[in-house]
Amino acid sequence: MLKPLRCPVSNKHICWAPVARQVMLVAILGLAAWPIRAQEPSVHFMYPPGLPPGAIGSQQLQRGGPLAGYFQPVEIRASEGALISLAEEGRFTAPQPVPLRVGMLVGQVYRFSVVNIPLREGAEVFPTIEVINRLYPPRGQETRFPIIIELTRDDVHLALAGKFVTRVVYLEDPARATPVRQIDKGQGWFEVGPGKDPLAVADVLGRPMAIVRLGGRVPDQPEAPDMGFLFGCPPLIKFPRPAAVSAPPAVQRAAAKADQPVIGEGGRTRR
Amino acid sequence: MSRVLVRPRMTAPMPRVWRIVLVILCTLILCSCRAPRSARDGGPGMIGANSPALPRQASPGLPEEAYTGVVPAGANLPDDVPHGPPGMELGVPMPYTPTGPWAPPGIALPWPRDEYLADGGDAGVQVAVTADRQVRGLEMEDTVAHYNTLDGRTVVEPSNRVYLYSPRFASVRQVVGVKENEQMDRSVGVYLPDQAVSQEGRRGPGAHKQQVQVVGQIGEKSLTTFRSKQGDGAVSAATGPRSFKDGFQPYENLAMIRTGKYEAADMAWLARGSTAAIAWTHDQGLQVLLDSRSAAAVARHEKVESVFTVGEPPTQAKLRIVKVASTQFAEPGDTVDFTIRFDNVGSQPITRVTILDNLTPRLEFVANSAQSSVTANFTSSRNEGDSLTLRWELAEPLQPGRGGILRFTCRVR
Repeated sequence: MLKPLRCPVSNKHICWAPVARQVMLVAILGLAAWPIRAQEPSVHFMYPPGLPPGAIGSQQLQRGGPLAGYFQPVEIRASEGALISLAEEGRFTAPQPVPLRVGMLVGQVYRFSVVNIPLREGAEVFPTIEVINRLYPPRGQETRFPIIIELTRDDVHLALAGKFVTRVVYLEDPARATPVRQIDKGQGWFEVGPGKDPLAVADVLGRPMAIVRLGGRVPDQPEAPDMGFLFGCPPLIKFPRPAAVSAPPAVQRAAAKADQPVIGEGGRTRR
Repeated sequence: MSRVLVRPRMTAPMPRVWRIVLVILCTLILCSCRAPRSARDGGPGMIGANSPALPRQASPGLPEEAYTGVVPAGANLPDDVPHGPPGMELGVPMPYTPTGPWAPPGIALPWPRDEYLADGGDAGVQVAVTADRQVRGLEMEDTVAHYNTLDGRTVVEPSNRVYLYSPRFASVRQVVGVKENEQMDRSVGVYLPDQAVSQEGRRGPGAHKQQVQVVGQIGEKSLTTFRSKQGDGAVSAATGPRSFKDGFQPYENLAMIRTGKYEAADMAWLARGSTAAIAWTHDQGLQVLLDSRSAAAVARHEKVESVFTVGEPPTQAKLRIVKVASTQFAEPGDTVDFTIRFDNVGSQPITRVTILDNLTPRLEFVANSAQSSVTANFTSSRNEGDSLTLRWELAEPLQPGRGGILRFTCRVR
């Protein structure tokens, strides 16, 4: 037998019908609001700044999707005359001229060296590339449209001067792309101050694809660096050298402020 | 002694105003999901539903195949379509070979959109023309045409959307100084025993029986007629030669562009860079001639007898606008040719035909590259994306069955 429900305050009988109606009302509203979930914008995961190399890429892999096992073509550009040697099987290979196209696994960190730096012959820097996302080109066009990574002369000289340079390469949103020619002026870039997170800024401007870290760290034994320095030498694929492109500009024309990122070339202030 | 339960007084029913508010709230929430726009967004039914044949007329500027639809000998189709696995053109096979572009389940290609440049269609807010001929809602990447009908209406017709695969990259740089830091970490031991947990679950066998009542349904379908006007493969007369520098380009080797007539063999080519290729087809209908005048005929089987109806089609205005690009892939610095084919597929002349193409910021119009097969006033103006809005206004009214071709070149930034 159903015991009559009494209000704990007034000790009056409570009918089930109004309660049931209210519960049904809440359920209907909840079900009706369910389609709104389909209109939520795409998720942007926030990472704390200062994560070590490889942390963001591995988290990207953990989220699933067709990222694991895919060799994303990457084209490395540098100042004219510079040579790049990749790390394979625990050692650096013979230096090769730029631009250089290789296929890199998403989520792995690749160490390479830049030698024969213009105006700094004899110096050597060891940047890293971490591919954190991939492109989805039409079939047969994978190697024609690689991720373009440019190491400007300014970057290399800053690294040789003891600075630590981080570049987050992102895919531009076509609707918000800067209306300037890249073929003449090189890859556009913004500068953020030390207090900002470049990954978060790149996420606002487009889709982050790769992280380039460039500092003054050198291996203890240049001839046979340890695997920790080389991040385990993940496998890569070498593609034929593309046609020569114009060298990226060496000096940024527009002055950079910490809280106002500016486009690298052309002096067009944005944001 | 018996205990008597007294039924409590029922509370007052929900006021009418709250019921109405509840219904309105539920309606608004359920209607918040947007359905895909079929006609305005280049979906099925956009164009070509009733494409009449275009009369053949002499025009000295274009080659003969422009009017016959026959592919000339030696003409080569675009050869930029890859055949084989990725990396084949370079001799290096890719270790991961998906079967076509990957897209999440339920997401239409091309995907992801940030890797493609789009041009054409009417995305977002629909374009409208005010009484003083001001165009509202023309967003970047839109391509539309607007015209006036005989009854004074201004109609806006979007084109199909063309996609170019052209990803472009930029970067965000941060330069910080490296400081020497030494930190002593104390070793920490953690003892966390895990307690053995046992879990047992039992589920009883269940049986379910459902009585399904036989349902009978009788549906009546009323007689429906439709107008289908199918030509004899003839041509548009308005692909005149004015200011065209040369003949058709290889990527324009489509009957849709050359003659204005849809052919099933072109579907694959049109579908490569378009979202509306499927809408260009239409069923062929029975042709009837009455006193040398063409008329639409409707043939439909209903039950056991056939119904034939012959009548004059109602007067209507319809402009078909089709856009194609010379390539599907473009790197920064490449030039891309665009061709817009427009035809009056209605049954009445239309006036003040104006075609607008609002270029995306990454497409730079090449100066003096605009061409038109009909007399048109071409102007351009700067848009909000620091690119150009191209505008062609035809000098003369467009008669039924006539059309033309516009062509221009853009450089990918």
